[in-house]
Amino acid sequence: MPYDVSIERLQLFSLFDLKGPRQGLTDWAGDVLNHLPKAPNQLSREDGVELCHTGANRWLLRAEIGMETDLEAKLRLETAPPEISIVKISDTMTFFRVTGEDAIQVMSIGCPLDLHADAFAAQAVSFTEFFNCRALVLRCRGGFDVAVEQSFADMIADYLDRATI
Amino acid sequence: MLNIPCPFCGQRNESEFAYGGPVKPDRPQPDKVSNDQWVDYLTQVPNPLGPVEERWWHVKGCGTWLTIWRDTRTHDIVEEPGDAG
Repeated sequence: MPYDVSIERLQLFSLFDLKGPRQGLTDWAGDVLNHLPKAPNQLSREDGVELCHTGANRWLLRAEIGMETDLEAKLRLETAPPEISIVKISDTMTFFRVTGEDAIQVMSIGCPLDLHADAFAAQAVSFTEFFNCRALVLRCRGGFDVAVEQSFADMIADYLDRATI
Repeated sequence: MLNIPCPFCGQRNESEFAYGGPVKPDRPQPDKVSNDQWVDYLTQVPNPLGPVEERWWHVKGCGTWLTIWRDTRTHDIVEEPGDAG
């Protein structure tokens, strides 16, 4: 019996890789980065900007692609001080949206994380493994968003197709 | 399969990690030790029957390098890494 799930390959997002001490990042671009989450593997949303705490002194900024130019201007990538790093990585990751009643079942085929709501809550986000690739996993309405390096996207799309048969 | 405690992410599946090998003793000065001691340092990998200090890289997760003590007889992690900085 097939899984009750819907899989969608999403359009590009505006993505920025942020590294460095929290204070340095907020001092540099406080109007965009004023809600950097403190807890590990947590996400915060404000004004269409999602900030994901993905590692020690490391965050990922995600927003709609239409906001990219504005964000670039506000983050001032080229002139950032040496103690922080802000790199635009919008075209390096491909997002899939897995939604539906059985979304967690399909996710569990490729991902070793416990994705139940009590272990992976609404604001949770983490890099993990997805069909043997490094992947970013976060919740969305009715399911999960999964991002993999764009060169693996066709392969992951094929795996997801096969997994949901 | 091991569950490895990452200081940033918590308990994670071994498949998210890359093995970094056992922690070797400090590199001696080649001109301050005998040839046998130098060859031993270069060629011998710690492989005790019991706890061994190992490096692991959370390559598919947060990217942290961590050090654990793993008992080679039971695969139990007998000493976990400290908190992430």
